Order: sequence, then C-alpha cells, then structure tokens
Amino acid sequence: MKRRTGIILAAAAALSITAAGMGTARAYFTTYALVRGGFPIKVGDRTEITETFSNWTKHLQITNEAGSEPVYVRAKAFCGDAYTLEYVDESGKWSLGEDGFYYYSDIVNGGEITDELQVKILDVPADIKDPLEFNVVVVYESTPVQYDADGNPYADWSVTLESFSTGAEGETGGGE
Amino acid sequence: MAKGSLEKLNKKLASPAVTAVLFACAAVLLLGSSIGGTRAALTYYSENYTSRVQMHNIGVSLLENGTRISWRDYGEDSNGEWDEVIGTLFTRMLAEGEEFKMGRTYPEVLSVANSGTIDEYVRVSIYKYWENGDGAKIQELSPDLINLNLVNLGEHWLVDQEASTEERTVLYYRHVLGVGEETAPFTDSLTVDGITASRVSQTVEVNGKYKTIKTTYEYDGANFGVEVEADAVQTHNPEDAIWSAWGCRAEIGEDGTLSLKQVTRGY
Repeated sequence: MKRRTGIILAAAAALSITAAGMGTARAYFTTYALVRGGFPIKVGDRTEITETFSNWTKHLQITNEAGSEPVYVRAKAFCGDAYTLEYVDESGKWSLGEDGFYYYSDIVNGGEITDELQVKILDVPADIKDPLEFNVVVVYESTPVQYDADGNPYADWSVTLESFSTGAEGETGGGE
Repeated sequence: MAKGSLEKLNKKLASPAVTAVLFACAAVLLLGSSIGGTRAALTYYSENYTSRVQMHNIGVSLLENGTRISWRDYGEDSNGEWDEVIGTLFTRMLAEGEEFKMGRTYPEVLSVANSGTIDEYVRVSIYKYWENGDGAKIQELSPDLINLNLVNLGEHWLVDQEASTEERTVLYYRHVLGVGEETAPFTDSLTVDGITASRVSQTVEVNGKYKTIKTTYEYDGANFGVEVEADAVQTHNPEDAIWSAWGCRAEIGEDGTLSLKQVTRGY
C-alpha cells in the first residue's frame, strides 16, 4: 500500500513539474520572420587567338569562348630588328598603350570575337620568298572585367591568379 | 371512494420505488442544470479569452529597401493561425537580363518593422555562405567575401560577438519597437568581392618533358547566399522573456533600452 502511494505521489510530482515547465514556455509572446536570397557566380574564361597571313600581313582576332566571363584583351607583336611592324586598325577599337600593347576598347563577352587588328611586316628583303622564314610572334593577354563600387567596368592588368595548391605557381590572367 | 383513492396514492408515494424514481429525477434535473451552467461559463470565458488575446497579437516583418518582403504575424482572429510569408532577397536588385557583378556595390537596406499589436524587442541573425548548385554548403569558400555592410551599430544595433561567427552575425535592436514602428536599418549595401574571380586551384601533371597545369576557378559555379532571420519577443517582463526565448542575458534600462551582459560589443 505504501509502495503504491509512493508511486502515485511520484507520478503526480513529475506531472506537476512537466505542467509547470509547459506553462513557462507558453508564457511569452514570440515570433520570427525569415528571408533568404543569393546569386550564382560565374568566373573563368577561355580565350583564343586566330591568325591569318596574307600579303605580309598578319590578321589577328581574339575569341572569348562561349560561357566565359567578360574580358578585356590586348595584343602585341615581336620581331627581329631587321623588320618594321605597322599596326592597322580599321575598326577604331584598338589603341596603342605606353607599354607597346594594343588594347581593345570593348568588353569581349563570352561567345564574342574582337574586330581585326592587322600587323604589316615592312622592309621585307627581296630574297626572302617563304613567309615561314620570318619569326614574328604575336602575344595576347586577357583579364576579367572588374567593376568599381558604382558598377563601372575597368581592366586591372596587374591581377594575378591566387593559387593555394601545393607546388603550384601563380600566373597572370589570360593567356597567349 | 375518494378517501380510498387518496390513501392508495399516499401508500404508493411512500413506497421505496417511488422515492427512488423521484430521487433519480431530481438527480437528472440537477445534472441538467449543472450542464447548462457549465456551458454558460465556457461561453463566457471563451469570449473573454478571445478578446484579451486579440489585443496581444505579436508580429514582425522584414523590410528590404522599404518593401515588406517577409513576415509572421499572429492571426487577427486569434484562432492559433499565423499570417506568414517567407520572402526572397535581391529580387528587385537586377534589371531583367542583367547579371550580378562582383565588385559592384548594390543598395541593400534591411530593417525590421513591428507588424503586431504589442510592443516588442527585436534581434536579427544574418547568415552568409556559399553553396553549390544542389544547395549544399561549400565550407572551403570564404563568407567574408560577401560583404553585407552593417550600419547604425552602437546607437541602434548591438553586435553579439559571443554569438557571432564568420558565417553568422547576431544583432540586437536596443530600443523598444512600438506597434507599427520600423527600426533603423542594420545594413545599407551588398558587395561580393571581385577577388573571387582570381582564386584558383591548380594541379600540375608532369608527363615526360611536358608539364600540364590545370587551373580551376574555386568560385566558378558557386552560389552566394544570404539569410536573415528577425526574432521578436514581448516587452512585458523583458529580461526573463529574452532569456527564455533567445538564451541571452540582457539588461533593460529604465527607459527600455536594451544592453547585453558579458559580451564584447563590436563597435
């Protein structure tokens, strides 16, 4: 009998404690509001130069592969001292920089191609018939379009890729 | 004859069976009257209860650039239902066809409004993270590159440094937010750092005389996410209510101004 009474009292005590806890939890008015959002990020580009040669002139165009992020591009040709190079820009979008590179003024979006830049080779010796004997190298670079706080685009040619892989080296953006 | 009938009736009434029937009838009548009383009492208290709760409906809303985009308000009928909307951030940030630009600073003014019928204290939790296309968090990418610029710290909002992490920032509004009032903004702009375009991982493979370097842009294809939760609690018995609801020890001044105990404030 005493044992049964003890069990009943213990159950009653537990119930009272539980009920007291429920009462406290329900005592305060609370609420909340939730919101979320975001955007996908697309970075990385793959550019490619197209060169054709005719009449001692190199015709250059640079393509930004579809799906790539927008880039700025620049190009420059190198040759020995024996020749003179002349740049011809019929589009009006290539301009000479202080570093000897020709800069394309427009942003090249993914899937777009630049207008043509011509590099004419002057003072060609009369005895050279085969264009393959020339050694005129064209270098081009691209850099991702950056934006300032107001959303204005600009090119930062000092940007380098930051790599954290063991044994890897950083390299300038774009490619040859 | 009449006298005989009266005697018979008296005998029948005095019998135990009649007494039992009458007792049963009395019990039924008593029970019936009790039920009626109980129903009346229930009706009375139910109406009174409804009226009282309707005056204490709590509600809170989140505002983005002045537009109410998310809220959870106790129903006007006080029937246990909530008027609730979970909104989406940045839906009006870009024009149609425009892409999000890293480095650009976009206006992003966030604030909280009291959409209930009682005064309240408010806190805000901001979460910043990166996730893949399947919605899974990418722990390796830095939430710090998502800059949701905080404003009005100190005067209106307190940063709970102990509860904040690289991914989460917890802010407490210092003042009582009255019915229909809006807090001072806690953010004013959003910028995703353009450095995300130059973070790469590279793998180098050497094959005979040739070395192949494969470059992978770490943030390419990732989604940046921002999540904001506004919590509200009643102002009656506020210190206990805040402790119970939010697990935070707060001090309430005589003018109702909230301050946090045992925290290093970030302003």
